[in-house]
Amino acid sequence: MWIQLRHLLTPHHTNNHRARALHVDALLLYVLVFAIFNVSFRLIYRIHPDILGYATDIRVEQLLTATNAKRQAAGLSSLQLNSVLSAAAAHKAQYMFQKNFWAHVAPDGKTPWDFIIGEGYHYTIAGENLAKNFSTSTTVVDAWMASQSHRENLLKSGYRDVGFAVVNGILNGEETTLVVQMFGTSNQLAVLPQVSPVKTEESRTAVVISEAASQSSISGEGRLATSLPLGFTAAYRQPLFDLPTVSRGAVLVFGGFLMALLIVDGWMIAKHRIVRVSGHTIAHMLFLTTLFISASAILQGTIL
Amino acid sequence: MKIHTLHFLVLVIIVVTGMYLFFYAQGNRSLQLTIGITSALAYVAWGLIHHAIQRDLYPKVVVEYVLMGLIAIVLLMTIFGP
Repeated sequence: MWIQLRHLLTPHHTNNHRARALHVDALLLYVLVFAIFNVSFRLIYRIHPDILGYATDIRVEQLLTATNAKRQAAGLSSLQLNSVLSAAAAHKAQYMFQKNFWAHVAPDGKTPWDFIIGEGYHYTIAGENLAKNFSTSTTVVDAWMASQSHRENLLKSGYRDVGFAVVNGILNGEETTLVVQMFGTSNQLAVLPQVSPVKTEESRTAVVISEAASQSSISGEGRLATSLPLGFTAAYRQPLFDLPTVSRGAVLVFGGFLMALLIVDGWMIAKHRIVRVSGHTIAHMLFLTTLFISASAILQGTIL
Repeated sequence: MKIHTLHFLVLVIIVVTGMYLFFYAQGNRSLQLTIGITSALAYVAWGLIHHAIQRDLYPKVVVEYVLMGLIAIVLLMTIFGP
């Protein structure tokens, strides 16, 4: 048993001074195992997302609390949850699923401002943040805060209102949870005939768009009662196995095993001054270390 | 020894640049995957060039670096998920 383990895990003359588990055929086996692992998980996820899927718990009230906590920490006023902006956000999310796109501006040219105005909220300033496939409300807001342009949007002092929509659907053939956050400030209280706004500020970046209108016409206040986006306030899924947890766990265990092998290999080769034909163990360790550091910071979701 | 140090300095620059770009692309998974694959390819290229200069580039060494690059890619794809 001991001899087999030594042969498998440490450099020795029986394995040509390279742990058997680091030979090229073993490396090929790891690639194949993880490739099969990947394909199997994708299949199970598509067929039985209730067994192996993404655990999700995102709620509008949590998003609002987290957003306002960030604003208060920055010395800004809290935003008021506005149901008209929430309705605009819900329609934007539905439109993304319907037209199968993931962008601020739809392929047909429809902008976030069209949704906001379409709901009857006429703004002096407005903005939009998007997120998809996050697991919790906190991670969504943290991801926005980690991106400079999204953070600027979230911490803009000019905003007074905010609306959210959390919507599940199929995007590009995959089950997706979309979060749409729409900001705005409306200075009109009376309901007036609809007039298209005159844009005075162009969108600043491709990531977060912020526009201002110099002419507003309709306040959203008049539509509060009829525009509540029912069914778009939360996404909650609890599969038997959480896919990211299982995947990360497998990678972590394998990564630890591989790094341990390389450390033992490097140490024994240096200690016994063994010369052999192989790749550099230190180079492999350096490469894999940076890979694992990078991978540890991968966010589950995507922001736009 | 000097050339060896220079080669490893180049490798450090490759992996640190890859890591920086990876963090810079935070939130954009497809871009992160592209950066990860590019870094893996750069690592394989580094290994092959390094051993070619050292005059110990044998088929077994080539396969070893290619498989290390592939391991990195499948691990990244596993973490990124469906």
